[in-house]
Amino acid sequence: MTIFSSELNAWFQSRLLDEIPLNIAIIDRDYLIVYANEKFRSQFGEWANRKCYQVYKGLDEPCQDCQGMRTFDDGIPRKFEEVVGYREYYMVQTAPALDLNGNVAYIVAMSENITEIRNHQLECEIFFERVPCYIAVIDRGFNIMRANEKLTETFGDCTGKKCFELYKKRLSACEDCPAALSFLDGGEHTSTHVGISADGGETHYVVTTTPLIKGHTECKYVVEILTDITHIKALEKEKLDAERLAAVGQTVAGLAHSIKNILMGVEGGMYMVSSGIEKDDKARLSKGWDMLQRNISKVSSLVKDFLSFAKGRKPEAKLVNPNILIDEILELYAETANGIGVELKRMSPTRIPERPLDPDAIHTCLTNLVSNAIDACQLSTREKSTVLLGVYENDGTLVFEVADNGCGMDYDIQKKVFTTFFTTKGGKGTGLGLLTTYKIVQEHGGRINVESTPGEGSIFRILLPVSRLPEIT
Amino acid sequence: MSDKNKKILIVDDEPDVVTYLASLLEDNGYRTIKAYNGKEGMDLARKELPDLISLDITMPEETGVRMLRNLHDDPATSGIPVILVTGVDPQYKDFIEHRKQVNPPAAYFEKPIDKELFLQTIRKIFG
Repeated sequence: MTIFSSELNAWFQSRLLDEIPLNIAIIDRDYLIVYANEKFRSQFGEWANRKCYQVYKGLDEPCQDCQGMRTFDDGIPRKFEEVVGYREYYMVQTAPALDLNGNVAYIVAMSENITEIRNHQLECEIFFERVPCYIAVIDRGFNIMRANEKLTETFGDCTGKKCFELYKKRLSACEDCPAALSFLDGGEHTSTHVGISADGGETHYVVTTTPLIKGHTECKYVVEILTDITHIKALEKEKLDAERLAAVGQTVAGLAHSIKNILMGVEGGMYMVSSGIEKDDKARLSKGWDMLQRNISKVSSLVKDFLSFAKGRKPEAKLVNPNILIDEILELYAETANGIGVELKRMSPTRIPERPLDPDAIHTCLTNLVSNAIDACQLSTREKSTVLLGVYENDGTLVFEVADNGCGMDYDIQKKVFTTFFTTKGGKGTGLGLLTTYKIVQEHGGRINVESTPGEGSIFRILLPVSRLPEIT
Repeated sequence: MSDKNKKILIVDDEPDVVTYLASLLEDNGYRTIKAYNGKEGMDLARKELPDLISLDITMPEETGVRMLRNLHDDPATSGIPVILVTGVDPQYKDFIEHRKQVNPPAAYFEKPIDKELFLQTIRKIFG
């Protein structure tokens, strides 16, 4: 002990215990506190000539099964938790203080108030168990270290299981595993999956993975938080089915309407032909014949459109470069457009990976949108109108965009464009183009939106979330 | 004035329908004037004050319903009888007959029309 200066030695004896941030008390066999430090006094008050159970807990006799006193018997230090009064938590450590013969003369009790930490833990526990999500903590080998009750309720017992085994009954990690990404870059990742619940049903969930230490690429654990969207998915499907049914009804009504109009033309043609023959009027006869031809060809184009609409086939998806689809449309329409004074231009191409699309179906959609845009340009008062065509990806969504500065549409028309056999083109349109487009886009898991201002033009966007694109056939 | 000098305005966005109705009516001794949308139709109605109007409902630009309202609102034209000739569902007939904003149409024909009944109805209106 001579390595310390005498001042330091004096400080050890007089101050050290008071400086230690623990409540320290020295207690004899009769539970009497023979010494306590400053921290102890500030926590429990006056201690001189009082017994430990009186000071700690305000009791009249020793606690049942006192752990500290056992140290007197066996000399072994102990660590245990004590609850004092109404939810005050203490972590207590006891150590023996020996006399010169090696017998335990006193015990030193060092305690710390851990109420705040304990309450915080309880809060976390409640969050962990009661939050309406499935939560699991996994290690780098995808082993589930901890999971909340909700997760086991849905997916079953998780002990000794890897997350992919539990959620999907798979034998290897998922291809698009967000947890693997979190381990790799220390960041947060989200993706949507379909799992199999313990009762064998499909469970759709969105999972967000966060490393236990954010931004830390060496992190040992990742927290997976799964939100169950099975219910939402079911509603979504119901809505799609209902929409489809409604579309069928509208389709039939619209078809009847179109045919009635054409029949009227056919009747007109027949009248002109027969009255032409009667009157021996060649001009009238040939006029009637033209009317017949025109209306018959309307029937055939209606039937063609109708068939392409009615085809209830699934998209035949293969990996295609969306930019090539745009190039094809440009090639197809450039000349026609140019011939009628409409400029057909391409937005500057962006790099997009190949995506699973039904190229023929998307081609039909783009054809419809571009031919509509060209029509809108022809109705515009502008001398030179432009149709701008492009494809890009934004926020996980593949977007085909057709913009024109043609005549535009008012609100009423915008509302109707995708619904019935709606056409503003009089006898020229069948009113099926956009309906077909809408259906194809739906089958690709996407939607269409329109922005339009009368007199200024329209923008049609086909929005296809990449995660919902069809599977390659 | 005999039926034969009556002037009938035909409004329809389908040129073939206009040609058909005009030929049919002229063959039966009426005079016809033609319009291909509601706006043209209204202009002609005001200028020519026809004795009868044959009107389609669904037309681009101004619809037949709009024209019916305009006819109703203008004292000069509100007395002209109107025959609706349309592909719209027959239920529409009940609807349009009970609107306050328009005069109930004199007759309602679903396309394709029965041409004898059409002519007979016109004779009855003039009779």
